[in-house]
Amino acid sequence: MSRSIRRRVLAALSATLLFGSAFAAEPVPSAGGAWQLLRSHFYGTRDFGEVDEAFMHVEAPGSTPDPAATPVALHFGDAALGKVKQVRLFIDNNPSPVVATLDIGANQPISEIDFRVRVDRATAVRAVAETTDGKLEMRSAWVRAEGGCSAPPAGSGEGKTGDVRFRPTEDGKSLQVSIRHPNYSGFQIDPKTGDPIPPHYVSHVKLTAGGKALVDIESGISISENPTFRIVSDAPIAAPVTLEASDSKDAHFSATWNGAAQRAVAAAGGTH
Amino acid sequence: MRQRVCASRRHCALALALCATAANAASFDVREVAPGVFVHEGTTVALDAPGHDDIANIGFVVGERCVAVIDTGGSVRTGRALRDAIAPHTKRPICYVINTHVHVDHVLGNAAFRNAKPKFVGSATLPAAIDGSRRYFVEHYPGDFDGAASADQIIGPDTTVATTRTLDLGGRTLTLRAWPKAHTDSDLSVMVDDASVLWASDLVFVGRVPALDGSAKGWLAAIDELAKTNAKIVVPGHGPVSHDLGAALAPERRYLEVLIDGVRKAIAAGKPIEDATANVGQSEKSQWQLFDTANAHNVSLVYRELEWE
Repeated sequence: MSRSIRRRVLAALSATLLFGSAFAAEPVPSAGGAWQLLRSHFYGTRDFGEVDEAFMHVEAPGSTPDPAATPVALHFGDAALGKVKQVRLFIDNNPSPVVATLDIGANQPISEIDFRVRVDRATAVRAVAETTDGKLEMRSAWVRAEGGCSAPPAGSGEGKTGDVRFRPTEDGKSLQVSIRHPNYSGFQIDPKTGDPIPPHYVSHVKLTAGGKALVDIESGISISENPTFRIVSDAPIAAPVTLEASDSKDAHFSATWNGAAQRAVAAAGGTH
Repeated sequence: MRQRVCASRRHCALALALCATAANAASFDVREVAPGVFVHEGTTVALDAPGHDDIANIGFVVGERCVAVIDTGGSVRTGRALRDAIAPHTKRPICYVINTHVHVDHVLGNAAFRNAKPKFVGSATLPAAIDGSRRYFVEHYPGDFDGAASADQIIGPDTTVATTRTLDLGGRTLTLRAWPKAHTDSDLSVMVDDASVLWASDLVFVGRVPALDGSAKGWLAAIDELAKTNAKIVVPGHGPVSHDLGAALAPERRYLEVLIDGVRKAIAAGKPIEDATANVGQSEKSQWQLFDTANAHNVSLVYRELEWE
């Protein structure tokens, strides 16, 4: 989604969110006003399939231990393997509800995609998948949280912006990809100065595996500091895995995982 | 994430309906742990429980010239109870109110001391930390203010400490020490020099599960430094005052080491953060009060700290 569209959606939503707190407090994942706006914006009057948790489900903590980095997992069942071409993740009650839009490479048997997200308050977290035959599937989970979007940056530790870490499991079917980046939400306060920090976030991540598209991610401020995605496939993920990413200030980052080492630290091709 | 003593904001949100209880005069006692050094020990309840505004150890030190208050509790009520508890022991003025870090259970009582016109003292990192917390405190602890909750009742320091600073109370001195990121990024310890009392505040948890809001590695480094002070008496932020510094530090050191070791192994094995928060640290569960209110949050922060090593 372009930033101009995102801004329009945000503007429309902000009015809803202002008076929408009463119904937002109730755990009714599909009845929220924010969602109705998002749904009509992205999907018009198209129907969603019957809820079938075996096809796809959203896993998230009912009450998050860490609102600034809440784990959300999308699980795809056997019937969905290679049949999902796009999936979009929403957090209804976040100031920017569209977390990410993922285009999944053709015939990639992805069984799970994990995110770490900021959750600002109690909300439905929902995924909408578009299948290769043009159908829509929607699943959701309810998460209680407070203040994930305004939590101050952790910021500690080693590494510099644009460093990339690849972490596979031993069987090669799971790969966690992390990009060192503040991913400022625009709702945080600088702990050194007390001033608000402007948004600055990873906006695009493209992964290939063995020369084929694996997943292409458009992301925003609801993704946690140091954006991290974990891809689990039904088959070992083919090396080399390449990452190309860019952020909202048009800096570019790239890295390659050759399958041998645990880590591949990128030369940050930043263009600040 | 800086505003809690215990793990998660969800508890704070849940607390709203329950937070009407407070420290009251009958239950508010201070104990003289060394000559002129008085400690009120907070209770061990979660932040979503009645009495959550009186969970921290707070107190005061009496000099020949004046009094220094160290932390003021989690509500204006608690701050007033502390203020009223000073009067029977001394009529000397309160010249300093020292805050050991930004967490709500240590600072929200500051407003009760405003009329005494003390200097408010904290780490050089505390002013910004307080500014970043004002809205959160107002929204999540409205029942703990004086009347209607407002940001101007949250008082940050006007006197700050970048490394160390000595305060003279007349006939005795306090040595204040600001710490690199450890429990939080605004930690300050107080040594009552003549009595060898180390007021470590939340750099030391005894009994209650430590709540990480800074850096696990930084906290371990701080524990090593605290051990070198050879203080005879240590006042933790939570839990009983101890006359054995080594014994007070050992469980907290062990807990942090268990988390760091467990998280490093999880990261190396490619396990995601939710796997770590569910499993790491569970061997410590029986060793701590309120373990489940903080452990998963602690593990999540350790994971995020260590994954870029």
